[in-house]
Amino acid sequence: MAAGEAQEGSEERREGEALMANRVRPLSPQTARSLVESIDAFLFDCDGVIWKGDKLIEGVPEALQALRSMGKKLVFVTNNSRKSRKQYAKKFAALGLDVSEDEIFSSSFAAAMFLKLKNFPKDKKVYVVGEEGILEELELAGFTCLGGPGDGKKSLQLKSDLWFEHDKNVGAVIVGLDQYINFYKLQYATLCIRENPGCLFIATNRDAVGHFTDLQEWPGAGCMVAAICGSTQREPIVVGKPSTFVMDFLLERFQIDTSKMCMVGDRLDTDILFGQNAGCKTLLVLSGVTTLSELQSPSNSIHPDYYARSVSDVIELLRT
Amino acid sequence: MRPPQLSLLLKDHGKGESFEMLITRGASHSFLAHYSPPSSPKTLISPLLPKRRRLFSSLLPPSFSSSHSSVARRTLGRRNSTMGASSAVRGSAQKLENADELIDSVETFIFDCDGVIWKGDSLIDGVPETLDMLRSKGKRLVFVTNNSTKSRKQYGKKFETLGLSVGEEEIFASSFAAAAYLKSIDFPKDKKVYVIGEDGILKELELAGFQYLGGPADGEKKIELKPGFYMEHDENVGAVVVGFDRYFNYYKVQYGTLCIRENPGCLFIATNRDAVTHLTDAQEWAGGGSMVGSLCGSTQREPIVVGKPSTFMMDYLSNKFGILKSQICMVGDRLDTDILFGQNGGCKTLLVLSGVTTLQMLQSPNNSIQPDLYTNKISDFVTLKAATV
Repeated sequence: MAAGEAQEGSEERREGEALMANRVRPLSPQTARSLVESIDAFLFDCDGVIWKGDKLIEGVPEALQALRSMGKKLVFVTNNSRKSRKQYAKKFAALGLDVSEDEIFSSSFAAAMFLKLKNFPKDKKVYVVGEEGILEELELAGFTCLGGPGDGKKSLQLKSDLWFEHDKNVGAVIVGLDQYINFYKLQYATLCIRENPGCLFIATNRDAVGHFTDLQEWPGAGCMVAAICGSTQREPIVVGKPSTFVMDFLLERFQIDTSKMCMVGDRLDTDILFGQNAGCKTLLVLSGVTTLSELQSPSNSIHPDYYARSVSDVIELLRT
Repeated sequence: MRPPQLSLLLKDHGKGESFEMLITRGASHSFLAHYSPPSSPKTLISPLLPKRRRLFSSLLPPSFSSSHSSVARRTLGRRNSTMGASSAVRGSAQKLENADELIDSVETFIFDCDGVIWKGDSLIDGVPETLDMLRSKGKRLVFVTNNSTKSRKQYGKKFETLGLSVGEEEIFASSFAAAAYLKSIDFPKDKKVYVIGEDGILKELELAGFQYLGGPADGEKKIELKPGFYMEHDENVGAVVVGFDRYFNYYKVQYGTLCIRENPGCLFIATNRDAVTHLTDAQEWAGGGSMVGSLCGSTQREPIVVGKPSTFMMDYLSNKFGILKSQICMVGDRLDTDILFGQNGGCKTLLVLSGVTTLQMLQSPNNSIQPDLYTNKISDFVTLKAATV
């Protein structure tokens, strides 16, 4: 490539980058003020926004307290299906945050509500590739579950006449984050979906990775869901972000127009897309899985209204 | 408040959509045909939202970084049912009547194994006579299987146990394909390979002189998502090879994910993406497509696929034996691996109904893959031949 061409190329690139950078605005004192004034309810993702694993992110308690004292409603919408709403409330309490169960909308809860709304028959069973949170919510809603963490201990004695049984009464398979994933569960779920007529394939969410410990990212439900897609060649119904399924419940509870809600999250293709799909304002925080360069990359097509380093910035900017 | 009506949103569910196929043609490494990950998940948009907000935004995750070289992708819509792998419009498969004509027109027969030569551990009727007959006519025989659990040597033993004289050098399992692929790109010997898969892959890598980590032993390893728990990974891993794995677990997924996401230039290679496989003769089992899918889900990357229907093995064979692809007939029981493999490679294709595919499935309007010919089983080569005398 000639020197002149190279120069032109890099100029174009810089222009493109500047354009991209302009499409995503960092939260400033002015925009923080107007945001807080115009918003009645803040919806927070949890992993990478409120905490990382079991460690609170700095400045979060103060920020939440400040927003509450301004009369803002706080809602926590998490795709992490490992816990039920009740269990999440306990986690919040253990971290010194005062959050009630009915302010929490986990994807485990969403899955149970989906079956309820669909009038899933009580004589049918649900096979769960996932953890306690899903089992608890399903049981609370009155459904019969199979699978869950217990099946993580099951292995197969490999011999040529081995026959794998599965319950023909399973009418739905729910797949979420599952650290106990194994071949037994993959096979059980696959047989149910492929062979039980009308069996539903439901995903709590499809996040690729998440901060399930404070020190690093781990494969998310997207991994388990894609595994089942791979063996069944079917697409799941997704109840968690970016699907706006849970928005129904939020609207019912708060009677606030979505334009007066702001979704605060760390993932573009779940949190921010959820907010956009529902017509909320969106704020990306860089305290989780997304970096500034990923946000500004030309290959990224999801642009939040604003971005900030973390939740605490919202309040700190108000004070400047 | 009346519960929202979700029935409208769910109307398409349950029709068992098959997924789109992407055929990726690499610049120097040809025809990496593989299956795309499922396209955007179904989004439930609340009917309670004002109509103008009910927008189905694109739900594809931020674009996958392409795995290797720059590639052109062509998506085949499943509704364009007359389109095969190439852009030629194919008519329906013809029943094999004149076996002689087929046999005389090709120099090499490539056979799939499960459902063609054997079922589980039993030989299919008439196979030994058929193979003998073809050999006596001077035909080259090659056996290509997507099953990566055994190495070529181990498959050789299986053939022997079944009373078939087939040499190791005539067998090409996807485990071998993975090692051969790494060899073909001069994968550096000082780099390591992380394996999510079984013994066959490990053996072939070792034979080819590559260092590996992982494999069945990592099936014993546990993780605990608790404070302070940190998983290390070897920064020298330059490729992750994923195949069918009965010892699959979260440890392996995380290890593979860390390598692919954090080791610069780390390759993501899949032995195959079969959705289901006949581990036992009596039923289907979740196949390699499942394990590969899991890594696609966590890395948001597409693998290089070395097994069928990718034509990597076809290229390898034609180079190795110096044969023209038009001189080859691919014989298999699966449309979306065996037959597509043959079509992608430009050879003749013969579907046998002795395995997973029934005549009904072949002739179904939902099926878009039409082989040139079909017949019940390979011993028809002998019996049909006799009938035409």
